[in-house]
Amino acid sequence: MLSGYWHFTPEVLVVCGAFAALFGGYLPGKDRGAAYAAAGAAALAAAIVAFGGTGGPIVFGQLEPDSVARYARTGLAGLTAVWVLWVAGRGMPGERRREGVALALFATAGGMLLSMAEDLIVMFVTLELATMPAYVLMGYRRKDVSGLKRALDYFVDSILASVIVLYGLSFLYGISGSTAFSGLELEGSGMLGFVAVMLTLVGLFAKVSAAPLRHWTLDANAKAAPVSLAFVSTVPRVAGIVVMSRLILAIAASAPAIGILVGVAAAASMIAGNCAALSQGDLRRLLICSGIAHLGYLMMALAAGTETGYGAAVFYAVAYAVPSMGVMLVVAEEGVAIGDFARLASRRPWVAWSMVLWLLSLIGIPPLAGFFGKLYLIGAALQAELMALVLLAILATLLSAAYYFRIVREMFFGDEDEQVGGAIEPSHAATVALALCAVATVAIGIGAPRLIAALGVRFG
Amino acid sequence: MAVGPSAFMGVAAVLFSLGLYGVLTRKNAVMVLMSLELMTVAACLNMVTVSRFVTPAEMTGQVFAVFAMAVFAAQIGIGLALVLAVYRQTGSIELSSKKAT
Repeated sequence: MLSGYWHFTPEVLVVCGAFAALFGGYLPGKDRGAAYAAAGAAALAAAIVAFGGTGGPIVFGQLEPDSVARYARTGLAGLTAVWVLWVAGRGMPGERRREGVALALFATAGGMLLSMAEDLIVMFVTLELATMPAYVLMGYRRKDVSGLKRALDYFVDSILASVIVLYGLSFLYGISGSTAFSGLELEGSGMLGFVAVMLTLVGLFAKVSAAPLRHWTLDANAKAAPVSLAFVSTVPRVAGIVVMSRLILAIAASAPAIGILVGVAAAASMIAGNCAALSQGDLRRLLICSGIAHLGYLMMALAAGTETGYGAAVFYAVAYAVPSMGVMLVVAEEGVAIGDFARLASRRPWVAWSMVLWLLSLIGIPPLAGFFGKLYLIGAALQAELMALVLLAILATLLSAAYYFRIVREMFFGDEDEQVGGAIEPSHAATVALALCAVATVAIGIGAPRLIAALGVRFG
Repeated sequence: MAVGPSAFMGVAAVLFSLGLYGVLTRKNAVMVLMSLELMTVAACLNMVTVSRFVTPAEMTGQVFAVFAMAVFAAQIGIGLALVLAVYRQTGSIELSSKKAT
């Protein structure tokens, strides 16, 4: 049984990196050195997962490092490495770096374990490990009263979602008599099964901020520091999406009706997210709203309830998070109002062109990551003959181009007078972090056919 | 009279509903945290009930409940820290999201 334990090497490395960051006062370079050490640990962990092998179930079948988990773990560790590298260059606003970096790495370790979870207990514990540091990161500035208040609201709502998930899981366990995903059996459970699935899904949707309970994320996140938001809206969220997809696939085997629930939530997320994003002037709010819409596209594939839909959804989770992290980090550098981006192209041409790349990927223009991601999502939905959802997704994508291109227009043709922020000092670490995001956006796009084959997606 | 699983699950459902009511109506952050704890207890009671009546030999539910309690102890720790941080700045522990109602 101990033979599979080497699969945990990356997680151990990430936790070691977190401790190294915590005790950064003893490292050369102090605070900044701590962040570099943590970024190195996360990057090494990503490389080990990417080039390491996959395997069958380990630890009594509670975790399974399969190819889907490998893809998700590489993405999570890589995203964290990029974020920490950026923080090493620019710092956390108003506070020192090392606690924030350590918390981010703990969340990443939780997220990486979460994407391997094959058991309800492991899933719940790691889900909390992945999201708990987010509450602290949201209220990271001690002097910022409104930020702290929002963090407290965010905390209460997120815990409420956790408790609802927990209550739902207790019913799922009660009906099937087992906590393993493979042992979930809802056939003929009637009303109790419906209640169990509803509670679990509503809680999980709230955790990853999908449609029915999405308002709280928007209100609570809108005042947070953009750099915290760049982490909170990508890494823990991707991990949550991966495990949600896994659980939906496991439930769909014995209760196909779950597809209707997921489909309705998908449609609601697409409509609500895109409509809300259209009128936002604050880029944080715009990106959160569009994140809800992207989750809608993703759940469209989950509504199919097939292996193909599952693989496509996990692929899209990372393919969406990479450009979204890039955009959020630039927002953290430039400012949160859309006017702050005026004439970015003449001030910092490379950053402006990277922004264009990320926004095009978010819209879904070939050959970038977002295009292939959406292609596979639509393919999976078409296989299950969900025509209405596919049409809605295409319309929503066209609509999304409107607000993404507003940012592009501001960067290239904006009114120079509006620009209030001064020039920011150059930082090599931050530049490298942004460049990595841009390269990854293209690389995921180019490597998409190979990646998706490894994720078990089959068309035709 | 034998007490079956439905009695325990009924108590759990009542506890859960009371907690949910508290979370949705209270403005005081500490009261909200206590209501959340009540909901957790309900979920744990549910698990232990299931474990006792469905899989008595395996104790899975008890283990699940112990893990859930440990996790929530940590959560409430973070919550109280946030409440304290807000209290130091503003001298109030009311939740801002419910000011309007």
